[in-house]
Amino acid sequence: MDISVDDLAGGITKVALRGRFDTTGAVVVELPFNKIATEKQKIMVDLSAVNFLASYGIRVLLVGAKIVKNNGGNLVILCPDNNVAKVLKTAGMDALIPIHQSEAAATAALAS
Amino acid sequence: MIAMANNEASRLVLRKDVAELKRLAGWIEGFTRKRTSPDVSFAVQLCLEEAVANIIMYGGARDDPLEIAVELERNGGNLVARIEDNGRQFDPTRALPPVPARSLEEAKVGDVGIHLMRSFASGMDYERRDGRNRLTLRFLEPAVRDGRNRLTLRFLEPAGEPAE
Repeated sequence: MDISVDDLAGGITKVALRGRFDTTGAVVVELPFNKIATEKQKIMVDLSAVNFLASYGIRVLLVGAKIVKNNGGNLVILCPDNNVAKVLKTAGMDALIPIHQSEAAATAALAS
Repeated sequence: MIAMANNEASRLVLRKDVAELKRLAGWIEGFTRKRTSPDVSFAVQLCLEEAVANIIMYGGARDDPLEIAVELERNGGNLVARIEDNGRQFDPTRALPPVPARSLEEAKVGDVGIHLMRSFASGMDYERRDGRNRLTLRFLEPAVRDGRNRLTLRFLEPAGEPAE
């Protein structure tokens, strides 16, 4: 699993994840993801290139979102694939972490 | 490529090692690629990852020679997955559903794996026999589950090798 980080305008950090966000993938990105969550305030997590999500991946997203919130910031999810979106919804994450279908909508949500 | 029979099965034995989950994922993908829809393949991968990860992480004491066997069998529009292990007794069908969190601050980390299995599998049965846990998961193709015409299952027919 790959993780890449882009600084966008307005102090927004875009974290793009790519690959299988299963136990194996989540173990790889957990530390760098937590570091970003600790250091940044406005984070969009692009899941468009994530083709699989399991509970360990959800754990990483939830812990990250809690860290950001605790620091007074916000974390949103961008463009999850159909089945990945279904996993997020089934796990109740859609009620806890805002999910947006476009970068413009995610940017607007983080800017407000 | 040999034309596939209607009923097919495959078996994989795993060690108590988190690294085995990668082998499990590759094996399931190989089995389901031409035998199920992408949605059923996703559901099987999700449920088996959750079930086997639970066994590897919580199924036995550190030095137990834990053995986990996974079987996949396709029968028409039905895919059955069986997981058998000699770890400590654990019946996931009796696990309580998680309580939905009202806020991010309150949300509990963890506890969603079994809930995902229940939601993505069409059926889940457990029995403890001869000192082993046996979990059976059933997956129905959406067309079968929804009672639509079997003709919509044409993609399940034997196919040639995919173009690489």
